[in-house]
Amino acid sequence: MSKFRLYLEENNRSPLTQLWREFKRQHSAMTGLILFIGFFIISLLAPLVTPHDPYLQVDELLLLPPSWSAAGLVQYPFGTDDLGRDLLSRMIKGTSYTFGFALITVAGALLMGLLLGALAGMSKGVKSSVFNHILDLALTIPSLLLAIIIVAIIGPGLINTTWAIMLALLPQFVHGIRNAIDEELKQDYVTAYRLDGANDWHVLSRLIIPNIWEKLTIMATMAISTAILDIAALGFLGFGAQAPLSEWGAMISDSLDLIYLAPSSVAIPGLLIFTAVLSVNLVGDGLKTAILKRRQS
Amino acid sequence: MTRYLFRRLFLMMFVLLALSLLAFSLGYMFPGDIVQNLSGLRQIDENQRQQLVSYYQLDQNYLQQYLAFLNRIAHGDWGLSFASQQPLLQEIKLLLPATLELAAYALLLSFVIGIPLGIVAAFKPDSIIGKSISALAMIGYSLPIFWWGLLLIMFFSLALGLLPSAGRISVLYEIPHRSGFMLYDIWQADISYRTEALHNALQHLFLPTVVLATFPTTVMIRFVRDAMLNVWEQNYIKTARAKGLNRGQVLYRHGLRNALLPVIRQIGLQFSTLITLAMLTEVIFSWPGIGRWLIDSIYQRNYPAIQAGLLVISTMVITINMLTEILHAFFNPLARRG
Repeated sequence: MSKFRLYLEENNRSPLTQLWREFKRQHSAMTGLILFIGFFIISLLAPLVTPHDPYLQVDELLLLPPSWSAAGLVQYPFGTDDLGRDLLSRMIKGTSYTFGFALITVAGALLMGLLLGALAGMSKGVKSSVFNHILDLALTIPSLLLAIIIVAIIGPGLINTTWAIMLALLPQFVHGIRNAIDEELKQDYVTAYRLDGANDWHVLSRLIIPNIWEKLTIMATMAISTAILDIAALGFLGFGAQAPLSEWGAMISDSLDLIYLAPSSVAIPGLLIFTAVLSVNLVGDGLKTAILKRRQS
Repeated sequence: MTRYLFRRLFLMMFVLLALSLLAFSLGYMFPGDIVQNLSGLRQIDENQRQQLVSYYQLDQNYLQQYLAFLNRIAHGDWGLSFASQQPLLQEIKLLLPATLELAAYALLLSFVIGIPLGIVAAFKPDSIIGKSISALAMIGYSLPIFWWGLLLIMFFSLALGLLPSAGRISVLYEIPHRSGFMLYDIWQADISYRTEALHNALQHLFLPTVVLATFPTTVMIRFVRDAMLNVWEQNYIKTARAKGLNRGQVLYRHGLRNALLPVIRQIGLQFSTLITLAMLTEVIFSWPGIGRWLIDSIYQRNYPAIQAGLLVISTMVITINMLTEILHAFFNPLARRG
């Protein structure tokens, strides 16, 4: 922190505006945000923007190469797969599976985590210590193993693995939220508010939640990137999305046996997963930096 | 420190108890016949069934069944695998070293590369070198590991033909099984083709290790960089500078010691992610480890194997977690409290 403060401009804007100003200055974070919004819109509007039916099998156009090669057709920019389905449409549709389901998963995990974290953070003594140890156990089971167990019990499928990923994400949310609440409870203004007669619910809803939402956002972005990678990995292994769903990871494993004939059908879905995860990570990092800079100014 | 150790060990017992409860209840939650799921036998006639029911105490209440389960686990009777009809514990003993070997080398590689790069990136965060290291770390952090593995196979194995794409060692070399750790076994073996075998094993090891190490390395770079930047702001660094130490001395005596302490803990926290990634790597490179075996088990509906895999892998992760915590407390007296 600098010793001298020069008040050259009015700096009494709302925290959110300040955050946005700091965020805007980072080009990488802005690129990430634009990509993120793009993926989000595509995942919402996927059924409307696909040029062809993603499940329609055209017998005359099997394994059409992408349009940049000489044999390709301009109507099928990324070509078709071995069943004659348009790859571009399948990838657009896949956005709502891989990216959209990741968002839903994280939203669910965040809500549950907030509930459990608040319970753990506001309770003391034996209850909180028992809670912690159960969490320790949950943290030690690798997410893929958890997914395997859930698939073994209730069978494969996109929804089932979503539950597995939600469960795997939950412990770190609860841990993070609990620690954040612990930190907040030590503040003097919480004591002052309590002396004014506030009960636990007041403290939680008026003081703690507004003060920890930034940490929540950062945790959520980290979790979204994990969720995308996990959904794609489970789809790749065949536990997640089942045929004919065009989840990106499942698309890679579908076209794996055609890797010599059509390498682009492996390369492009992977590139999409990578871009989606990168955009989320860029936004997360940008937010972290922006919050840090705002605190310093 | 002694008190701390006891507390930690007590905690570990508690967590292991909860784990055994989970594994025990899985036998009932899996679809299919409970006697089959517990024993791993495919064909059970009426006579045998009666014997097994009394052996597993299935006619008693759940508490009795749980105690019988614990007793069996402790005595090494983990049931048979549905797929091979071999004792599970035997199979796991053969498979686990392969996974541990891969994970250990990847972890080592991530330290050797990640820590120096993280320090360099923190030293001049706004220079071109610092920025490009951060950008590389960001890219590595976002790569889907199975796709990354496929890309490397396509490039190094298929296009260039430099490196093998599957297995631990070429079938030409016969290595007597001793510890299960390939490099150690080759070193110990009494064979005339030791150098060639070692060379071949290293070639097989290279790609999987690089793929598995990518994520931990980038985590390490980011973590060390952030920790370093944080420590660099502290007042004791300013004091050390004011005393007249040069940059190198400050870095070595005050900066590194404080910045690298949390790294020990990070290993424990990242270990379960590492195992998940190792499972995926094993599938891609056909590495005969426990991860690929578990994933095959789900395709084969091999429920006893999944239960045993859960027990082994989680116990391993819990132990490593605990060890790193204790190590961290050993180096950092502040962590012993609480």
